[in-house]
Amino acid sequence: MKKIFLPIIALVSILIFSGCMADEGGENTSVAVFYYTYSDPYISTVRASLDRELEALGVEYQDYDSNSSQTTQSEQVQTAITKGATMLVVNIVETGSDDAAQGIVEQARSAGIPLVFFNREVSDNVIASYEKCAFVGTDAAEAGHMQGELIADYILKNYDATDLNGDGKISYVLFKGQDGNAEAEFRTQYAVEDANKLLREAGKPELSFYNPNNRDKYLVDKNGTWSASAANEYMTTILTEYTESGKNMVEAIICNNDGMAEGAITALNTAGYNNGSGKTIPVFGVDATEAAVALIRAGKMTGTIKQDAEGMAKAIAHLTDNVKSVRDLMDGTQDMHVDTNVSKIRIPYGIYTGE
Amino acid sequence: MKKNTMMRRGFAEYKTLDPAAKKRMRREFFINNALYIFLIIVIIAIAISRPRFLSPPSLINILSLSAANLPIALGIAGAIILTGTDLSAGRAVGLCACVAASLLQATGYANKMFPELSTVPVYLVVLLVVAIGALIGAINGFCTAKFNLHPFIVTLATQLIIYGSLLMYLTLGTNNGQSISGLDESYTGFINGSFLSVGGTAIPNFVWYSLIITVIMWFVWNKTTFGKNMFAVGSNPEAAHVSGVNVTRTIILVFTLAGALYGVTGFIEGARIGSNSAATGLNYELDAIAACVIGGVSFVGGIGKIRGVIMGVVLLRIIFVGLTFLAVNQNLQYIIKGLIILIACAIDMRKYLVRK
Repeated sequence: MKKIFLPIIALVSILIFSGCMADEGGENTSVAVFYYTYSDPYISTVRASLDRELEALGVEYQDYDSNSSQTTQSEQVQTAITKGATMLVVNIVETGSDDAAQGIVEQARSAGIPLVFFNREVSDNVIASYEKCAFVGTDAAEAGHMQGELIADYILKNYDATDLNGDGKISYVLFKGQDGNAEAEFRTQYAVEDANKLLREAGKPELSFYNPNNRDKYLVDKNGTWSASAANEYMTTILTEYTESGKNMVEAIICNNDGMAEGAITALNTAGYNNGSGKTIPVFGVDATEAAVALIRAGKMTGTIKQDAEGMAKAIAHLTDNVKSVRDLMDGTQDMHVDTNVSKIRIPYGIYTGE
Repeated sequence: MKKNTMMRRGFAEYKTLDPAAKKRMRREFFINNALYIFLIIVIIAIAISRPRFLSPPSLINILSLSAANLPIALGIAGAIILTGTDLSAGRAVGLCACVAASLLQATGYANKMFPELSTVPVYLVVLLVVAIGALIGAINGFCTAKFNLHPFIVTLATQLIIYGSLLMYLTLGTNNGQSISGLDESYTGFINGSFLSVGGTAIPNFVWYSLIITVIMWFVWNKTTFGKNMFAVGSNPEAAHVSGVNVTRTIILVFTLAGALYGVTGFIEGARIGSNSAATGLNYELDAIAACVIGGVSFVGGIGKIRGVIMGVVLLRIIFVGLTFLAVNQNLQYIIKGLIILIACAIDMRKYLVRK
């Protein structure tokens, strides 16, 4: 008897409560924001900016941490919709396939609420499949292209200083954040390809991977977390085999993000490099985190590609304002970089070298 | 010592056997020591193709990578001896690393988390993070012992609590979830500095701290009543209880000690990596558990040696460094590591069953 009593009480009270709450929401804009993980420093910057922007707009919002799990995120979306969210802002976890994103689109469609994806890219088909759907992010390939440009630019300006062993070729190592992540793949590919192209045009030989036996031509964080510690441990290991006295020192370090650049720099510091004065091995990152900017200012790091967190937050807030004021989702975005056939707003990257 | 006399006796026995039994015994020997034999072959093979693998800088690199991982493995080993495990270790390391780093940022660093904070003495921070680690461990131990829960469940829960706290901690002060770096000289010097060089390569200071801790842990495990109680509780808690061991206290102490060691690991990691975020320490416990089981610390409980833990940690690092030297395909590296863990444990279990 007792056993059945408690659940019934619980059920009844839930019904009573939901009865009271049923009228809430409705007119108010209630935004549910899903971040792929709180532990990513760059995403944390976006979150801080977006929280500020949404508060300024005076809309109700709730942040969710999907903790790098697509399952968690999809369930959170479901819960948020039942809770009465009137707009979804999603930083998708799974970028490898369209299924998860399409699933979220279907949920938004059946609830009839607008949906904005941001930062981590979803394919054009997904965005186009629902009229109240848009994407705010960067052009994933652009960071790679820009990093390539940054690398070539630096090396061409400082060729002899960079070429430590004077063999006329620049040897490099590349630290990749994660296998199977579109941004990591693009950055890994284009940073080197574009740098090589520019070097060839200037009549210089291409970059050569420090260890010719490594066919991948990168070293990846095996946990897939783009972590400083992975880059650090690779770098300390590399520095035992490849040294200046051995005439095979690594002459340029390319990192998929600034966290990995920081880890590599700590390893270089211990070996007596990149201490702000004396010998400095060029290290390139992406993100322009506050820590990386400080390193670049101190002369310990060469350059990074700035992801404009604030710009991204502002664009999302603009779309939110459209929803709040019952305008078209993409209203007033003519001045932004929007893809031609699909509602994708591109926030441009920028090169940062401390100048 | 014991092993030596055993081997000598084994050899004497071996001589008296008939050829078939001799053959069987040889095979046994090879299977039981397959891991060590494999390791020696691997080292020789790598050294032949990449001679610098055995150069002083490389050896010191393997040594220091191992030293960084040793304290956490020694802590987790205690939990495994109690037939438990500890999933919260990695997150505890992360929290301790972030706390240590945030208190020891250089004054005047642009993104200092607590700008008003002047330079905190390093020893105070060590004590603080070790205390934080120990507190986490004590909670793990308390819940395990008092509520009679399996540590897997307890630490699965505390791991989440720690992670949440860490995320909150990272938003304190001027920090918006950014990674914590720009560390003070006093901290980086204390960890990464060096007062001894071998063959022109500096041995980072943290190697010595790790060594001291290992010696202390050897003493605790082998020479103290607490250590003996730990093994007794691990092999049979009821029997230990009947023979007058305070099981609850022993469990709480083992986890507290483990937590203190995570604090040490976190303190080392903070400066060793130099960039601390919520991802710091993620999955560290898995490598530590792998190292323990490779080194013969058994999940059946009550079995394990400090020597084994060191062996396991060093083996994993040799594999990491060796595969990097050989530039083995990255996908293959996961498979190799998995196979090694599997084979090591299978061999270990086989030995255990034979003994039984």
